[in-house]
Amino acid sequence: MSEAIQFTIDGQTVDAKPGETILQAALSAGIYIPYLCYFPNMKPYGACRTCVVDTEANGRKMTVASCTATPTPDMAVETKNESVSELRRGIIEMLMSEHPHGCLTCHRIELCGPQDLCQRHVDVTDRCTICPKNERCELKDTVRLVELDLRTPLNYNRRELPIHADDPLYDRDYNLCIVCARCVRVCDEVRGDVALTLVERSGVSLVGTSHGTSLMESGCEFCGACIDVCPTGALVERDYKWEKAKKQVTTVCTNCPVGCEMVAEVNKFDKIIRFRGSVDGPSNRGQACFKGKFGYDYPNHKTRLRRAFARQDGIVRDVELTEAFASAAEKLEGFKPEEVAVIAAPRGSNEDHYIAQKFARVALSTNNVDTGMNLYPEIRERLEGRWEGLDTGQSIWDIEESGSILVLCANPTEAQNVLAIPIKRAARNGAHLVVIDSRETELTRYAAVWLRPKVGTEHLLVMGLVRALVDGAREDADFIDAHVDGLSELKASLWEYDLRRIAQACGLAVGDIAAAAAELSSGTTLSALLGSDQPSPDNRVALVDAVMNLKLACGSIGGIGNGIYALYEGGNGAGAKRVGCNPLKSDIETIERFSKTWGIEPPENQGLGVLEMFDAMRDGSIKAAVILSDGLALQDGGYGDVDAALANLDCLVVSSLFDTDLTRRADVVFPATAYTETTATVTNLENRVQLMRRAWEPRRDQLTGWQVLSGIANAMDATGFDFADAGAVYDEIADTVESLSGTSHETLDRESFMATRAKSDGEVGRYRFEVMKPDYESVFGSDGLVLALGRVLHQPDREITLGTRNYLNVIDRVEAINLHRDDARRYGISDGDRVEVVDYRGESCVSGRANVNGGVPGMVFATTLFAELGTFIEECESPDPAPLVPALSLRSVDVKLSAP
Amino acid sequence: MVTTIDRSVEGRRIESESATDLAFRKIRDQANIRWRELTAGDNPWFRVGFGASGQAAGAQAIYDALMPFGQMGSGDITLSKVGPRGLMYLEPTLEVTVPGGNTVIHANVAPEMVGAIMAHYAGDRDATTLHPSAVARVGKRDSYTDHLPRWRELPANHLQTKVLTRNFGAIDPHDILQYIASGGYSALHKALASMTPGEVLDEVKSSGLRGRGGAAFPTGLKWSFLAPSDAPVKYVLCNCEEGDPGAFNDKGILEADPHLLLEGLILNGYATRSTHGVVFIRQGHDLPIDATRDAIDQAYEMGLLGTNILDSDFSFEAEVSLTGDSYVAGEETAMMEAIEGKRSTPRFKPPFPAAAGLWQKPTNINNVKTLSYVPSIVRDGAEEFKKTGTESSSGTALVCLSGKIARPGLYEVAMGTTIRQVLEDIGGGPAEGSERIKVLQTGGPLGGVMGEEAFDTEIDFDAMAEVGCILGSGGIIVGDEKTDIVDLIRNLVAFNQFESCGKCFPCRLGNTHMLDVLDRMCKNESRSGDLELMEKVGTNMKIGSLCGHGQLGYNPISSAMAYFGEEFRQRLNGELLPSGSLGDGIMMMPSRTRPVGQGG
Repeated sequence: MSEAIQFTIDGQTVDAKPGETILQAALSAGIYIPYLCYFPNMKPYGACRTCVVDTEANGRKMTVASCTATPTPDMAVETKNESVSELRRGIIEMLMSEHPHGCLTCHRIELCGPQDLCQRHVDVTDRCTICPKNERCELKDTVRLVELDLRTPLNYNRRELPIHADDPLYDRDYNLCIVCARCVRVCDEVRGDVALTLVERSGVSLVGTSHGTSLMESGCEFCGACIDVCPTGALVERDYKWEKAKKQVTTVCTNCPVGCEMVAEVNKFDKIIRFRGSVDGPSNRGQACFKGKFGYDYPNHKTRLRRAFARQDGIVRDVELTEAFASAAEKLEGFKPEEVAVIAAPRGSNEDHYIAQKFARVALSTNNVDTGMNLYPEIRERLEGRWEGLDTGQSIWDIEESGSILVLCANPTEAQNVLAIPIKRAARNGAHLVVIDSRETELTRYAAVWLRPKVGTEHLLVMGLVRALVDGAREDADFIDAHVDGLSELKASLWEYDLRRIAQACGLAVGDIAAAAAELSSGTTLSALLGSDQPSPDNRVALVDAVMNLKLACGSIGGIGNGIYALYEGGNGAGAKRVGCNPLKSDIETIERFSKTWGIEPPENQGLGVLEMFDAMRDGSIKAAVILSDGLALQDGGYGDVDAALANLDCLVVSSLFDTDLTRRADVVFPATAYTETTATVTNLENRVQLMRRAWEPRRDQLTGWQVLSGIANAMDATGFDFADAGAVYDEIADTVESLSGTSHETLDRESFMATRAKSDGEVGRYRFEVMKPDYESVFGSDGLVLALGRVLHQPDREITLGTRNYLNVIDRVEAINLHRDDARRYGISDGDRVEVVDYRGESCVSGRANVNGGVPGMVFATTLFAELGTFIEECESPDPAPLVPALSLRSVDVKLSAP
Repeated sequence: MVTTIDRSVEGRRIESESATDLAFRKIRDQANIRWRELTAGDNPWFRVGFGASGQAAGAQAIYDALMPFGQMGSGDITLSKVGPRGLMYLEPTLEVTVPGGNTVIHANVAPEMVGAIMAHYAGDRDATTLHPSAVARVGKRDSYTDHLPRWRELPANHLQTKVLTRNFGAIDPHDILQYIASGGYSALHKALASMTPGEVLDEVKSSGLRGRGGAAFPTGLKWSFLAPSDAPVKYVLCNCEEGDPGAFNDKGILEADPHLLLEGLILNGYATRSTHGVVFIRQGHDLPIDATRDAIDQAYEMGLLGTNILDSDFSFEAEVSLTGDSYVAGEETAMMEAIEGKRSTPRFKPPFPAAAGLWQKPTNINNVKTLSYVPSIVRDGAEEFKKTGTESSSGTALVCLSGKIARPGLYEVAMGTTIRQVLEDIGGGPAEGSERIKVLQTGGPLGGVMGEEAFDTEIDFDAMAEVGCILGSGGIIVGDEKTDIVDLIRNLVAFNQFESCGKCFPCRLGNTHMLDVLDRMCKNESRSGDLELMEKVGTNMKIGSLCGHGQLGYNPISSAMAYFGEEFRQRLNGELLPSGSLGDGIMMMPSRTRPVGQGG
């Protein structure tokens, strides 16, 4: 590590880290230099020149842009002297000649408030007060800071451009654009999407899309990164466009397991009006996604529940909380332990999940407790069981350092959006990306090799990769010698993994498997992302083993860029597992530790997981349930027939934000708090514990999940449920869970905490290959069709027509449904037919024109456009659209000719 | 193709001497045979001047008219298209070399003259039949050409010193053998056979050669930044963006003698131990593009490019890359962006190209003229090169005379020649209908203007800078007494505004506002304080801009204020000069420019 560079800024001594620019060093030292085109986490650009400073080093004086210049030792930098200030003022003055600035140069500037109506001084289109970014405008702040002379000899030119308001979610008003290109650069450099570009040049250069298309066609993923970096009102969110924030609260998004740190802006009516990625966010570094950025405002909704209600003698009525607690307690006490189930909210905090399992085990004496989105528990189970200690808990940004990346059955671009950024950036920088997925996703376009196996054969394919590695003697012999046992057994077992047979089973070519193996072994490090998007639980376990064999064979364990990332659904799956909100026996050690704290004997039977619970409700063996439902998408979440299950219950206690199908079936309903009313912790997929902070007090009777359950427990006379606040709950967790010891809400308020730590190279222990046997039979027998619906940002090769609905652009395109010849013949479909793909419920998944072009037998492929998700968020009728965004799950389907 | 450099070049001299010599001798023998066929064969050799200027003057029609004369009494004529001779007032030109070696140059040929000209060459060739369009002869005396002046004694020629333009018009640019026959690639042969890269670099250093692209940076020094790097891939780029109005010397070299540049580029690669060369040409310069592409193809065929050039262990690849329609693409970092396929906007420096240039690899960028001097420096030695020119500026300068001048053209003069000599002795003074030369616009639109009092300045990088102008690209646009200075400057600034890439704020906005003021002045609507406004904006651009385009953007105005300040002040007072008129045709105003005050 080279030394810090010491130099002075305006006489103050400042240390710059190697590679840091003068501007960065100044900002970290608390010295402000005005800037407009620079933005943290982006490469320097050097366009706006407002950050000019005078430097003197070795007797040489220069005027430089501090965003691009790096300091030299003992350099003297002046940021405020007359010549620099004059230059800065000159540039800003010219800039204002193209930007509506009536209010800035009005003599009443100090008298007018934001809400005042101006009668005569300034043209209505030139006012700052009608700009959506008024009072949070970087340009305006800069203008004030440089103390611009209000009289200028320069002619003012308003561009008179139309406002683009016909794309989903945000408005673009290029009359306000200063062409700093932050949006273009964030889209290109950070997001890797390149949906925006600079157009034209000289005095008319501006931001736009290539060929001037709508955002729908441009490949925009509606992440809103461009809005967050825009220094003016040119790019703004359409919802709450003109709202002014009264306060800003740093919190964590719970829509997915990435756990982006977000800044919530709250107005004076205690409504959340904007949600943007926090630049200092450890897991997201300022980024967010279409769900987080635009699906945040459900706490504002007028239909939020504020009072508890209970059903008595068939009549629903509002009740006070004490009565609701008593009523729930009374009802639940009537059931045997094996007849009750507790389902925690997917968006629930660690505290909620901890109390949920404590409530189940202490108050109800049952192990039937799970988090609501724990749909594919096998992957984490296997990783933490058989492969314990290898679940490395690395930052997702370490992926950027990986030489090779394997993405398996996962679509992070949609499900864990920000996670896709380091993958895309690594791929653009030359990392070898291999994607194994039967769906066409955005990442398949970045992949050096994309393998599209028949669904259910993925584990065979990965073992095929191991075989190809060993065949080519590309395994890391030194690493295996030092750290891995069982190489000879593995080699002996590999003869059964015949590449030709595997290729046939997967519907691939042998050459493709070999090529993928070559890509994976050509990087010095290998990150693996293990998704759960595939149908069979057995396969998932085999898949984990196969991937770990592969990683061991490549010697890719320990150190930066060798991470393994298990992807799952729900905002706090990792936290739920860590605090024991889990029915499975393998966690018995954790449970035992809890029991000691609680001073009770825990129930010893194997509990039911969430999917099993719904099955048990349907067959009547579960008679009562407590469901915390925040973020739960019951109807499309893979739980089967939910209505039938709920109708079968004798008692249902629900905590909910809204009146839903679930609350209508409930006996007791508690009004839930959303993230805006919660101070609590969540754990993301890196195993990073972060603190969500409350934006306002809960209204009336709204209660957080742990409060609901504690209340019921107390009404049931259970002990150990008296907590002053969530901090106290967390303290009990930290006392019991070893990996969290030493942390508290106070420490987490200062800094997030990684509950597991990546092993350094030196700490790598000893492991053993998992010897497996291929099972070709089970994958051959399958009948029927599986739909692998994909989604990509854009398909320039396919024609799009743009329609209009409710004044908004919508994509109007005939999808191509790809079928194998044999399947087409079986279903009586010929090339070019209009067909519809329907799922088991008879609901249409996708329709379009059949393309009988080969493909894989038993599979149906189709690819839709990402922009439709933007439209979905915009148009969704539910107050909380994010959990309802249609996922690309693999489904058994039927294909039929469309009605003419 | 990626090639690795043999680091042990020092020992190469003895090992490969004979192989390289043999390889080059084979090529040269082939070239000599070809040359004898052309000049001493049975057929007269007809050459039509086919540069851009020749084409504009109607060379195609002459060529077409000559086609039917494929058959003459004794057999075929040989018909070639050649580059410009430089004396563009003579275009279109037709040169005829009769077997035996005498050459006659016909000037201002019209298609209807072709019959009469041909009659002479088909017949007995005596002085009476020689067409009056013949203006000069080259080579030995002959009975029927005795009355003609020698080519180099023509008034436009006698002051010229030809280093780069030696072959102009004399050889077919699409025939590598003609270039080799006239001494081409012997410098490359000499370097590969008997010099180490370090020796070539030292030779260039001691020649005192300075970059001809505008900044006049010492070429050898620039090369020495690149040479030490051991990166496996290094680039040498040649810049032929040449978008300056009134500049046509880079294009001239590529039109007339592309191998000269190519040889220089390969030598540049050898001296800096680079692996790849790219010649970057502005899209639309079709003749230079075609000529350079042909030249590269032929050089590959001859083993002068590619792996193991001339059987030595030096390998070098070269290709042509095109800009979009952008002037700023000629800025060296913007050029690299353009070659990478991006929007051509300048990068900030450092890092400098020698550290991280094209594709982030170590890179050198040189102008066409700069590289074209290198073969003669290597062949004849630095001392020989330095004999021409001044103390601080060695060698020659290419000047492009255009505008209100009697003899427009592309001329090469020794550094140290005064501007007045160029204007009067070479250019022949003001054009017909003009009384006097009032103003010169030099070095492209970012250069500046000079008035009569500066005409005695020597052409020399430093002397030019002293009078507020730059030699730059070598373009000199001549304005006569009717030229309205404010309007001329408005045209220059309009060009600069239109060509600003739009990246950095001072240049994007500053040019627009300066143009706004000049527009006002030309409409006689100036406001008090306009001059101060331009000065303020211009100064901000000079200090604040990212690249030279903005930094030099105030040059036209500041130099004009120095020589013609009175005209600006008269405009401020509302006096429209009687000679003045808007858009007098010296430069065309770009149509897409949006002057700031006029909206939309």
